[in-house]
Amino acid sequence: MTLFHFFNCAILTFGPHAVYYSATPLSEYDTLGTSIKAALVYLGTALVKLVCLATFLKVSENDSFDPYQELLKALIGFIDVAGLYFALTQLTHRNISQNHKFQAVGLGWAFADSVLHRLAPLWVGARGLEFTWDYILQGLEANANLVLSISLAALGSLMWLRKNKPKTLIPIIYACAGIVATMPSITSYLRRGLGWHLPKVVGFELFTSLMMAFISWQLFSACQRPSS
Amino acid sequence: MFPFKSRQPQMLDSMYSMIALVFILVACVELCDAATVVDVYRLIQYDISGVPFGSRLATLNHHAGSLHFTPGADLSRTVVIIPIRELNITFVKEYITQRKPLGGLLFLLPQIFDFEDRGATVSEDQVHEKGLMKTVLAELEKLLIHANIPYPVYFAFENDDIDTVLSDIKRNDATGQPATATTGGYKFVVSAPEPKRIASPTITNIQGWLPGLKADGDPNQLPTIAIVVSYDTFGTAPALSVGTDSNGSGVVALLEIARLFSLLYSNPKTRGRYNLLFGLTSGGPYNYNGTQKWLRSFDQRLRESIDYAICLNSIGSWDNELWIHVSKPPENAYIKQIFEGFSNVAKELGLEIGLKHKKINISNPRVAWEHEQFSRLRITAATLSELSVAPDILESTGGLSDNRYFVNETAIVRSIKLVAESIARHIYSHQGENIKVFADDSSLAVNPSYVKSWLDLLSQTPRVAPFLSKNDPFVMALKKELEDHAHEVNVQHEALDGMFTFYDSTKAKLNIYQVASVTFDLLLLLVLGSYLIVLFSFLVITTRGLDDLISLFRRPTSRKVKTA
Repeated sequence: MTLFHFFNCAILTFGPHAVYYSATPLSEYDTLGTSIKAALVYLGTALVKLVCLATFLKVSENDSFDPYQELLKALIGFIDVAGLYFALTQLTHRNISQNHKFQAVGLGWAFADSVLHRLAPLWVGARGLEFTWDYILQGLEANANLVLSISLAALGSLMWLRKNKPKTLIPIIYACAGIVATMPSITSYLRRGLGWHLPKVVGFELFTSLMMAFISWQLFSACQRPSS
Repeated sequence: MFPFKSRQPQMLDSMYSMIALVFILVACVELCDAATVVDVYRLIQYDISGVPFGSRLATLNHHAGSLHFTPGADLSRTVVIIPIRELNITFVKEYITQRKPLGGLLFLLPQIFDFEDRGATVSEDQVHEKGLMKTVLAELEKLLIHANIPYPVYFAFENDDIDTVLSDIKRNDATGQPATATTGGYKFVVSAPEPKRIASPTITNIQGWLPGLKADGDPNQLPTIAIVVSYDTFGTAPALSVGTDSNGSGVVALLEIARLFSLLYSNPKTRGRYNLLFGLTSGGPYNYNGTQKWLRSFDQRLRESIDYAICLNSIGSWDNELWIHVSKPPENAYIKQIFEGFSNVAKELGLEIGLKHKKINISNPRVAWEHEQFSRLRITAATLSELSVAPDILESTGGLSDNRYFVNETAIVRSIKLVAESIARHIYSHQGENIKVFADDSSLAVNPSYVKSWLDLLSQTPRVAPFLSKNDPFVMALKKELEDHAHEVNVQHEALDGMFTFYDSTKAKLNIYQVASVTFDLLLLLVLGSYLIVLFSFLVITTRGLDDLISLFRRPTSRKVKTA
């Protein structure tokens, strides 16, 4: 039965990525290569972040919220944004529309994130006899992360790939991108500073990811109207 | 493409081996991350002449249940967890004597019984409560030791973790709810190796010799007085059988008496004309097997020189009355002399002493008292004990309730005074005279702190003989202590009588897991499946349009139309 639980949590964590790929036109245009390249860029970014964290961050004894450390972590988190920029602009993609490009990049990014951060704990923990809700919550978190990654990729493509944007929307775009980029710091503040429990934090993440997805969808379609 | 195809069989092979490896990895379920891990002690497993007794299994892997189960429920795959405070002896008796199937039993002993817990402070009412539990425990032990139980039986001590688990289990059983993820179904897992027979268990006898003062030119052998105590125990849970009263009290008394007489004998002016022989024997619960082998090893001269032997058995928890048990009839001159000597000293100390006579039956292999082994070889001997009746086999040999808190060191000190004074008066022929050899406030006074420290050590050392190796540290410690007091110490290793066979695996760790039921997993699968389907439909509708979704389902039918 424990293997059953592992299987359940695995499909919760990785299923949506596969579903997203097959459901949207991404599968028709065979954008798998783009996603794989984005995943590799994420890997590189993660390594760079690791090195920076190891060099600059102090290891704290207790699990409290240290503003200075969190600020440093947020700054290092912007390396993520740089990686996404690299994936969106510098990689050579086969001629696919911008619409699909950001989706593919976001998908690959989120998939790599899930695999790196969630596969190992799932493998080691979910197969045991002991039952905890943790792995189901982790799966939900992976879902929220997928939505957030795709929104961030959308905003990123708006920022760097689209040339003619309505002037009024530009600050909103940058603000939203900033919020989405600093989402990890926000959740860690909630967990440590305010002492929220995991279910509450995951609920918050899901809610904000849906909100951000909606906002970025609106922004994207608003920017798309002049060109169409 | 072409080189790809030729490599395909090799690739398939490596793929199959990879898949096999993945399956093997996947199959080993992690067992290390349990919610709670508790030390548990197994019921003893032994055979007498091939007849099995005790718990015959050690591994445990079942769901947990409490005494509040619905009557008539099938418990063959349940471990019933019973705190001793709420023990219902009829339930246990019913299940064991009627051989009803059960997954396992776990008894929870109160924290105070834990001899390893040094931090526990004992209050008055706790001691009273323990007194009540003593009778309950004794009955339970008797039942368990003489039964053949085909499932594992374990003992554990109450602590916070296991108490919360137990209250959860009780709550579930009371509502009759099956175990689910949120209401807490528990699984008890003990992964212990299969119990193996202990091959040729050894019993170790230690003897100390204090020679008396031999007058020059006297060719005759000096008479000897022997003081003998058996130090090993036998109990329901061998890892918990410390036997503080039976017979830790005797061991402490012997060591103190040896110390006092070694002080006396160190000065040639005060050395008596009697040799003193101290014996720490093993194999006590098994019809005093060790004593018998020890006596057989004596040579004839020594055997004939023994004036009398005093055996000590359970002298730690009495108030005012002690008993001297003999095998020779009370009218016997030697017995009269010994008893009178003891009575006089007893009167002075303000305690009562009675004489009990029990005839020995040579054809019966049962040896109830240690002195009977001496009597069978026609050596005058007696046992001093607080017990008035001879214990049955494997009774009063240091069970679960034989604990430090029930033993009173002042009782032991008084017994030491009684024995030492009586023997001294016999040696120095001061019978009936009002002289105290070991008076209080003298340099020969009984040392209560010596008694206390050895008693504390004994109450923390389980001493079941088959589980004590030849060079067990405790046995070596006893030998070393006796060497301090006696002139010559010998250690004799013997094999335990073949009638008794013992099995190992006495201590294990219990892992308590909170598990989810199968229905929960299936439900979760259903929920996730529907979630993914909804997500898929949603994405198809929003990105490709509703028509595409419908066309996904219409494709097979359109193909059929085409072929038709």
